[in-house]
Amino acid sequence: MNTIVRKQMSIHPEVMDLLNNQIGMEMKASASYLAMASWCDQRELLHSKAFFYRQAEEEREHAMKIFEFINDNGGAAISPNVTNVNNDFESLRGIYETGLEQEIKVTESIFKIFKTARKVDDFTTEIFLQWFITEQSEEEDTFRSIIDIFDLMEGMPLKMIDERIPTE
Amino acid sequence: MPVNKEIDINQSYQIKHLTFCKYVLHTPNKTIDLSFPQMLELRRKINELTTYSSLNRIVNNENFALLFVADKQHLIFLEIPQLLKLKEEISAFFHTSAAVCA
Repeated sequence: MNTIVRKQMSIHPEVMDLLNNQIGMEMKASASYLAMASWCDQRELLHSKAFFYRQAEEEREHAMKIFEFINDNGGAAISPNVTNVNNDFESLRGIYETGLEQEIKVTESIFKIFKTARKVDDFTTEIFLQWFITEQSEEEDTFRSIIDIFDLMEGMPLKMIDERIPTE
Repeated sequence: MPVNKEIDINQSYQIKHLTFCKYVLHTPNKTIDLSFPQMLELRRKINELTTYSSLNRIVNNENFALLFVADKQHLIFLEIPQLLKLKEEISAFFHTSAAVCA
């Protein structure tokens, strides 16, 4: 990064672009969880409903964290377009599996930004992203544990499985 | 006297740094003052217009792009070579790769 740009920005422009993509990804994940929450809400799956509403909030918080980070460091955060949100699901288990796949994609995307930040010596972003890496590892673990419940309670009524979903 | 279009393009679309937060974009028709956030916005728009799919769309349709610059105070007309030259100039300014992205 040249000196003129460095005086205006603490983060690297290429990393800023990736962070802006990440905002879009987090907001899409938030919208996707909202769709899942609605599916559960309509079927009186109360624990899953609460779980996905909370996930939707969390993903939005992640997006906002990145949004403010970009602007605070002299960059330009871009409000993303969120389109093609799937509202059509087959089963509760399928929803959690989709959730896990979504979380893995988000983790991979954060790794990509982390690697780029390291490559271009953007230490500010590298340190900032460490929180996200820990957070993603926890998110993936949460989903895996829930899918385990489905395996352990195979054949039980859906409502009983739903009642084992953590709400805190 | 014949005009060498390539030389013309290379000599136009230059970005100059004036003061800490003031930049100037020289185009063949006008000189545009830009703040740093306006520079970032210009970079974003140019990057968006020069993706592989955007360039394809432009070439297969109108073959030019109209671009609002400096908080919509200026409108510039760009044909493909000019668009690519501006991308190159902006990339050089930000010290990033000028490659066309997919």
